[in-house]
Amino acid sequence: MSENAEIIAARPSGAATGVGNGRFGRSLVGGLVTALPVVVIGFAILAFAPAYYTHLALAAFVNLIVVVGLQVFMGNSNIANLGHSAFVGIGAYGVAVLSTPLAMKQLSIPNAPFGLALVELNPLVAALLALCVVAIIAAISGKIISRLSGVAATIVSLALLIIVHSVFLNWTDLFKGNQAFFGIPKVINLPAMLVASVVVIVIARLFKDSRWGLQLRASAQSPQAAAAFGIDARRLRLVAWVLSALICGLAGVLFAYFAGTISPKLFYFQQIFMTLAMLILGGMATVTGAVTGVIVLSIGLEFIRSIESGVTIAGIQLPQLLGLSGVALGVVIVLCMAFRPGGISGRLELDEQLSRLFRRNAR
Amino acid sequence: MDYALQQLLNALAFGAEYSLVALGLAVVFSIMGLVNFAHGEIIGVSAYSVFLAAALGLTSPIVAVLLAVAAAALAAVTFERVAFRPVRYAPTTTGLLTAFGVSIVVQNLFMLLISPKPQSVSILNGLNQMWFFGPFAVSSLQVMELVVSGLTILALVLFLNKSTLGLAIRAASRDFATVRLMGIRANRVIATAFAISGALAGIAAVFILARRGSVSPDLGFGLVLKAFVACVIGGFGSLAGAAAGGMLLGFIEVGLLVALPQEYGGFKDALTYVIIVALLVYRPEGLLGQRVELGDKEI
Repeated sequence: MSENAEIIAARPSGAATGVGNGRFGRSLVGGLVTALPVVVIGFAILAFAPAYYTHLALAAFVNLIVVVGLQVFMGNSNIANLGHSAFVGIGAYGVAVLSTPLAMKQLSIPNAPFGLALVELNPLVAALLALCVVAIIAAISGKIISRLSGVAATIVSLALLIIVHSVFLNWTDLFKGNQAFFGIPKVINLPAMLVASVVVIVIARLFKDSRWGLQLRASAQSPQAAAAFGIDARRLRLVAWVLSALICGLAGVLFAYFAGTISPKLFYFQQIFMTLAMLILGGMATVTGAVTGVIVLSIGLEFIRSIESGVTIAGIQLPQLLGLSGVALGVVIVLCMAFRPGGISGRLELDEQLSRLFRRNAR
Repeated sequence: MDYALQQLLNALAFGAEYSLVALGLAVVFSIMGLVNFAHGEIIGVSAYSVFLAAALGLTSPIVAVLLAVAAAALAAVTFERVAFRPVRYAPTTTGLLTAFGVSIVVQNLFMLLISPKPQSVSILNGLNQMWFFGPFAVSSLQVMELVVSGLTILALVLFLNKSTLGLAIRAASRDFATVRLMGIRANRVIATAFAISGALAGIAAVFILARRGSVSPDLGFGLVLKAFVACVIGGFGSLAGAAAGGMLLGFIEVGLLVALPQEYGGFKDALTYVIIVALLVYRPEGLLGQRVELGDKEI
């Protein structure tokens, strides 16, 4: 198929020949370049923006980490994943259960099983334990998902989302069910979130450019050719799934630590829709695409939400516009898929685009 | 004994509904490889048309039923024309995500144009009565669900086996390129498949309306997720597999409802999915699916 040829042609000439340190260094620098817009925006908000925008920015950074995590699996394996919010939720509820102060727990979950009502861990330890739980659940679910063909894998990822959501809703002794879980220590501020975002972007880029990432992308393009080269696509899908889940879990941990209050519906279809639209708009083949999509849609959605939540035109309030942002998200996905399936950034990372540009200008 | 019979009927009725919806998904998937996440919104369009017609003064339940089926078929064909035709030759993931996008758009349009809250529709409530057979009391709706689903599936099988277009659809699921070489129009085959899929969704919508008596924007979404699961258990793209998967799902759900103590009832959905995922560990290609060599579907 034509797409195969494109990807092969798109491999930057250096990356194919470079070995060891050279290649690692290049993708490290590439990752940092990709993260640069995020850093610039982050500093701009730190320096100038009022407190309200800082809160919005924190939420946008959480979305950024989720989308980058989603890209790690979807972009490299080319299998649609509709269950990543499950891991965001597990991360968030993990730290909520482990690190909420005891006095708060007496109010909210006095009957928690396994003596968890009497546990109050340091936020860092709680985060690490929550990520361990994410890793275990990801390893089990990944074992199943990596065996299935593309479509079935997508459906099972959805099933995972529904299972996890339903457990949050119904295990009220531990997760408070439908009610908000409050009192989580707020230990994350914008600089910390910024650092986490940059680290995650670099990790995603390193994985994509690594031997495993390259092999996984190859097996997504042509399963038979990849298998003929001795590539174990299942194992690679499992690795990408677990890494993706860990990044999403981290996003959940950070979200819980900055918001202080979480509820199950935050980690359900609403978030899936939004993060998926962001990734598709930006372009799921690259980490740059993930970053671009989050930046563009976060700004766009904030604008739409300001209309949605009731503009007063000629003295008439319009509360019926509820759903406008959803329509916009869906239209973005449909139009992107029809006219530009590669998304905004296409198949080249930011640093690759820049180096192309400079080479052309130098000539 | 009475209780067991009642639960058996429950399982059959649920299973029949899942089978109808799953068949609609499988018909479309088998010929164009499209995972139609917007199928639930076809059910939604159908239900909302009945709601609007009733609001405008429609009183006859028979007309409402016909309207529901026609609206669903029309919606399915329209979705294909507007959204899915541009991505017809694209990879499966592209089609899947497009359908997901369509689903979000339509769901939110219901919210935006009508209301985010459930709206009551009472026109079809007459279908849901109690019938008495000697000592047994059964819900008329469940009996009708079973009978109508059975007849619909029979009609579908007859159509696929006896008519030229049906033959073309079956052939297209094996090798679309050759079907076109035989002088059959691709657009017509695909439009027919969507119309069938829509009509099946419309019938399901009638039963949902009769049972719930209300419409809401996410009306069909949950049902379609289950139908997808039914397709996956049966083997994606296999029509017999979709029907069997739907039935199996109905039995698993009712079985869990009976077996689970009241206070754990909320875990029914979670456990259903766990059982299904466990099934897939043993047969990753589904119960009736064929083990396709990876890459076979590439053209």
